Amino acid sequence: MQIMSALVGLVSRVPAPVHAKLLAAFLAIAMLLIMVGAVGLHVLSGVNQRTEDLIKLQRKIEAYRQVQHDTTSQLYSVSSALLTSDDLTLSSTLRQLNQFGFDVDRLAFVAKDEVELLGRFRQDYDRFVDVVTRVLELIRGGHAAEARQMQLAQAGPLADRLERLTDQLVNKAEADMVAGIEASKQAYATSQWIVIAFALSSIVLALILGYAISWSLIGPVKEIEGRLNQIAAGDFTKRVHVINQDELGILAANVNRMCEELGRLYQQLEAASKHKSQFLANMSHELRTPLNAILGYTELIVDGIYGETPDKMQSVLKRIESNGRHLLGLINDILDLSKIEAGQLVLALDDYSLKDVVYGVCSAVEPLANEKKLKFKVEVPPTLPSGRGDERRLTQVLLNLVGNAIKFTDTGEVAIKASVADGAFTIAVRDTGPGISPADQAKLFQEFQQADNSITRKKGGTGLGLAISKRIIELHGGRIWVESSAGHGSTFAFTLPVAIEAQARPA
Amino acid sequence: MSKRILVVEDQEDNRRILRDLLTSADYEMMEAENGEEALVAVAKQRPDLILMDIQLPILDGYEATRRIKADPTLKDVPIIAITAIALSGDEAKARAAGCDDFVPKPYSPRELLAKIRELLR
Repeated sequence: MQIMSALVGLVSRVPAPVHAKLLAAFLAIAMLLIMVGAVGLHVLSGVNQRTEDLIKLQRKIEAYRQVQHDTTSQLYSVSSALLTSDDLTLSSTLRQLNQFGFDVDRLAFVAKDEVELLGRFRQDYDRFVDVVTRVLELIRGGHAAEARQMQLAQAGPLADRLERLTDQLVNKAEADMVAGIEASKQAYATSQWIVIAFALSSIVLALILGYAISWSLIGPVKEIEGRLNQIAAGDFTKRVHVINQDELGILAANVNRMCEELGRLYQQLEAASKHKSQFLANMSHELRTPLNAILGYTELIVDGIYGETPDKMQSVLKRIESNGRHLLGLINDILDLSKIEAGQLVLALDDYSLKDVVYGVCSAVEPLANEKKLKFKVEVPPTLPSGRGDERRLTQVLLNLVGNAIKFTDTGEVAIKASVADGAFTIAVRDTGPGISPADQAKLFQEFQQADNSITRKKGGTGLGLAISKRIIELHGGRIWVESSAGHGSTFAFTLPVAIEAQARPA
Repeated sequence: MSKRILVVEDQEDNRRILRDLLTSADYEMMEAENGEEALVAVAKQRPDLILMDIQLPILDGYEATRRIKADPTLKDVPIIAITAIALSGDEAKARAAGCDDFVPKPYSPRELLAKIRELLR
């Protein structure tokens, strides 16, 4: 496996474009195929050669058998001719003998490797022809007895030797044939293994080459893909390490450049966002300090610390105070919203009692409800599980909802109802106010939106309360909504998990 | 004999409001403009209560509170922390430093006076 990865690394480092590498790989595989073909052809021609040799051997055997057969029949015809002593028959036999000698001479060209054996045969045959000629002459001369003796003493053994020699020739050729077949079988087996081994090693080589090439491409693609995922998830710290010196190497370098650039921009953005929220925090502090003084002095004057004030001035001072508080509310809301927008509002998670939150809000707003002669109802189950979240922020939300309900309701009642089900608290604030049309409901939770601008002017309010409430509830992993129809009152409700362990990421 | 209250506040207007408020309520008032002055003042004369602004130059309110509370002769003096940025966690930080109560700015002088009276009762 180590060798393979080293090979992949080697292919990756080749400083050539991807198409050149692929072309080289295909050429290499094509070369291997050609080589397998060439080896096959070579083996095939070897087999052909051996078959031809075997056919030659077969012919030789047939020729030798013919010689053996002819020799036997010559010897037979000679001995029978000598028995008849008929001169005409003898002369034709002698002619036949000489003719056969020439036939054997021609055979010598076919059997080059048995020249020696054939030579001996030819020698013995010549002597045999000689003896037969002399015997013939003795018979013609009328020396039948001598002829007979000569035939027995010299022609007989020669004939025997000739027969043995032809037997030897045939046997040897047959042995050659057997050996040839055996050799051919072995050669065939060897060639088979050579072809198989060559084909197998070609396949293995092609596979290794394919593996190296494809992984030298897939590896970097996977690496780049993984990095892009991390970049998409907002991690700009790591770099792609690709050793390729081809298009993929260039791609990786570009990804790294992009990542660096994104990281730099992200840092700039983060710094800018930090500056912005620092600026807002500072500005809100700077705005609140003089406002604090204005409100403080006004209250002291109203309380008569600096002496009696006429009634007319008292009402103006109250207006200054209420306008100052409105301005303060705006400053606080803008600071809250900008912190939430910058993702810098951190919930202070702690255990809280929902009952305490609800009754705390009630005691704060009850005077307002009484002032407007509204009925005020609270419905909280006797036992509620202890919650976990930012108590101060949740109080802020409920205070906003109940405050709005009282502010916009002129007659009837405002009711708070808390419940718990499936690990979630639900708090609903119902009023008998003017109600809200569906078109206005859609805009309610956006910044600086109130259902009716004339009401805003009449009732005050920053128009940021619901937008902030929505974000606070969402940070708690909850949901806030409104159910209303014009003329039939409104119900603002929110639900949130009883216990949250970490604040949700802002959407 | 009237009670003595130390006001630690760097802002002139805020000091004046508190001065006008406290003197009208018959308290004797000591003033300090930062944490260090506060430490000098308490060493000179023991107050009955301290109104401590948190954002102060030189030595901030948290540190001044910690040092005062570390002094055995002064640790019984109630300290009300006053901070301009009312964020989650500020109250916890003020209490951890040893403050007995916490008032976010802008406070109502009327309500602050009620709190002071309660702590001095």
